[in-house]
Amino acid sequence: MAALSAFTAIGRGLLGAAIGLAIGWGLALLLGALTGREDLTQVIIAVGYLVALIGWLLGVGVWSSWAREWLRLPTMEPTETDWRRYFRFSLDHKVIGTQYLVTFVVLMLLAGALSMLVRVELAAPGEDLMDPVAYNTVMGLHGIMMVAVGVATITGGLANYLVPLMIGAEDVAFPRVNALSYWIVPPVAILLILTPFFGGFDSGWTAYPPLSVVNANGQLLFLLAFLTFGLSSIFGGLNFTTTILKLRAPGMTLMRMPIFVWSVLGASLIAVTATQFVAFGLLMVILDRVVGTSFFDASKGGDPLLYEHIFWFYSHPAVYVMILPGFGIELEVVSHFSRKPLFGYKYVVGSILAIVFLSMIVWAHHLFTSGMQEFLLIPFMAATELISIPTGVIFLAALGTMWRGRLRLTTPMLFALGVVFNFLIGGVTGIFLADVPTDIHLQENYFTVAHFHYTIMGGEIFMIMAGLYYWFPKITGRMYSETLGKIHFVTMFAFFQLTFIPMFWVGMQGMNRRVADYDAEFGDLNQIISIMSYLLGASFIVMVINMVRAWFGGKRAAGNPWGARTLEWQTTSPPPVENFDEPQRVTGDPYGYGTPGAPAHSGPMTETAGN
Amino acid sequence: MSRDGAIVGLIWLILTVLGEMAALRVEFFPSPAADQATIIDDSFRMLVVLAVPVMAFVIAMLVYSALRFRHRGNPLEDGPPTQANKKVMGAWFGVTTALTALMIVNPGITGLNELWERADEPVDMVIEIEGSQFFWRASYAEYGFETFSAIPADELVLPLGAHVRFDITAKRVLHSFWIPAFRMKIDAVPGMTTVINVRPTELGDYKDDINFRVQCAELCGVSHGTMTMPVRVVTQLEFEAWARARQQ
Repeated sequence: MAALSAFTAIGRGLLGAAIGLAIGWGLALLLGALTGREDLTQVIIAVGYLVALIGWLLGVGVWSSWAREWLRLPTMEPTETDWRRYFRFSLDHKVIGTQYLVTFVVLMLLAGALSMLVRVELAAPGEDLMDPVAYNTVMGLHGIMMVAVGVATITGGLANYLVPLMIGAEDVAFPRVNALSYWIVPPVAILLILTPFFGGFDSGWTAYPPLSVVNANGQLLFLLAFLTFGLSSIFGGLNFTTTILKLRAPGMTLMRMPIFVWSVLGASLIAVTATQFVAFGLLMVILDRVVGTSFFDASKGGDPLLYEHIFWFYSHPAVYVMILPGFGIELEVVSHFSRKPLFGYKYVVGSILAIVFLSMIVWAHHLFTSGMQEFLLIPFMAATELISIPTGVIFLAALGTMWRGRLRLTTPMLFALGVVFNFLIGGVTGIFLADVPTDIHLQENYFTVAHFHYTIMGGEIFMIMAGLYYWFPKITGRMYSETLGKIHFVTMFAFFQLTFIPMFWVGMQGMNRRVADYDAEFGDLNQIISIMSYLLGASFIVMVINMVRAWFGGKRAAGNPWGARTLEWQTTSPPPVENFDEPQRVTGDPYGYGTPGAPAHSGPMTETAGN
Repeated sequence: MSRDGAIVGLIWLILTVLGEMAALRVEFFPSPAADQATIIDDSFRMLVVLAVPVMAFVIAMLVYSALRFRHRGNPLEDGPPTQANKKVMGAWFGVTTALTALMIVNPGITGLNELWERADEPVDMVIEIEGSQFFWRASYAEYGFETFSAIPADELVLPLGAHVRFDITAKRVLHSFWIPAFRMKIDAVPGMTTVINVRPTELGDYKDDINFRVQCAELCGVSHGTMTMPVRVVTQLEFEAWARARQQ
């Protein structure tokens, strides 16, 4: 019975969704009767989903622990302290962070499995495994799921768990909004999983109209899912901006914040300012499909290019929502495992803010061959390449920190070292795509695919791995096997290179991306790429075994197993509900390694009074 | 200079020399078959030449640090409290800014200007291209006929050395008109005409070299990957003969 009770919240949510769907369906039919419209499928999907989403959220916990207050009823918050709290509308940032982490690591493995299907299809020319509709849907699902993983694993998972701890706060600024931003995610996953049953979608994760206006109904599910996910991201951004600016412990000045906190602030600023734009774009496509507007229909005065501008106005900054907090993890790990101060801390802070700004004015580099006005080419090329200057500062910070340090090559540190190499390749090849003349050829071919996998997988996913291994003992209170961790790193690093280096070459030789089939001449290279990608996929099995084993039976971890200075390590592993046994005061530098007698970064308020 | 610095400098130098030798020798692309392809290939090589010293520096620093600066004994022993100073940051900022500016100007702006200058040369022939799901239609308006990739054996035939302008549009959804041998590409957009110019400089035929093909390079639906059309570059005389035959 106790086990069953864990699922009452989810059960209520599902009931709410079912009732919502019925109401929405009825509304759509009523609308159809009033307007005399015949084909109501898309109206039913859109309206039905919208009301079902509200029903789900109310049922899962918004009603009992939030909305009741509006009617002056007592709210009912979940009280479990055991494993059941992970299935509830919990308001504890550590529970929500864990919910996010588990959800998105599972999603990452699923999306990775989809990429394996893609590679099976591409291992040989011709139609092998999937028909083209299935192929495009699988490829698009891999794309959008990995984008979600990229956006939410750090900002939703690690940041949620760690930012309040690192700034000495008890929780985030808006715990209910925080819970809402997580519980919005399951409907996104369900919509995406359902797309194949509605004809799939053949327009990839970018969903460019006019194709995304005229194709199967699976596209509508995709658009609604993306829109909903954006909402979650905006909530998260609002929450972290406020938390970081308003809830820091006494003494935690901005320039004493760990660099990870700065990087999350940067990502949050982008999330709250840019995400709305992609929502507009998606909404316009939905309106074109469902209501019959013609934003993108040239024959009725619409403009197909409009969407590309709106879409990338968000989706380029979005890669910095992914990579900025990754930089934060990278530099935390490098500093604590080199046991040296972070080299150029204030320059890194400046670079993060510079990237936040620059990320907003480079979107049209995705449109160099779109047919947009020629006079835009040079300004967007220049703005894009300027990003290499602040990014270069971050590289220098990592290298400068390691220089003459006392490096401990633990699993997280190995991943951090791997990032320097991978992101170097990713960054340098990005220049070839930012420079217009070379981009004309390389745009939309496998060179581009290899480039963004080097930045997002070789960069961000490796950074996430560094972060997961680094904070695993804090979050679970358990220690994993270092040997298995190192095996995971070595295999993932090696097979990552062997998978994606040949992709640069096959692209330069003229193979384009997003294709289910290709000329036989590219067959040999693709076979090698596929085999290496299976081995890359297999490396994650080592991670799963290691982490699951450790979580359920690993050695107990101490509060501060790495001997790191930052606040999250100055409490038990895992921390108590209120994070610290005593309120904390910040008295020193988070990275004050190597200076004898330097004040600790923090200490309990009672002991540090007067400092 | 310290011993560590000298060793890293040496590794950097060796990697840079080896890298530049490779950068100048490797054939990165299939042989260029148009003026435009040569400009783009040269731009690519220029960027590789600029990238090599940067990559060599990061790799030298990374590998040397990981091997040389590992802790010995107590894992919690601290390193020296080195802080970034203005000199190092200034030098780094100066070098990266200069490199970035260089890449923007050359090959970025210069390459683009060369492409634009070629486009301004007098045009010998205009071919109208229409992309539809999932075929290419090429109209030789001056000759009054068209070829269509839905018809087997229909090709895009171009005369060697002629300056050809493609006026490109699309029927229903986005496509992208890309000929890998020429390196040139532009999207085909419904309701709009986009333009690219090429001057083929090599004879070639899809049957011998798959880079002589029109390939759709903007996801346009299920058969996007197979939305291709063979390209054949022939001499002026052969072209005239082919065009006359098509007209009848």
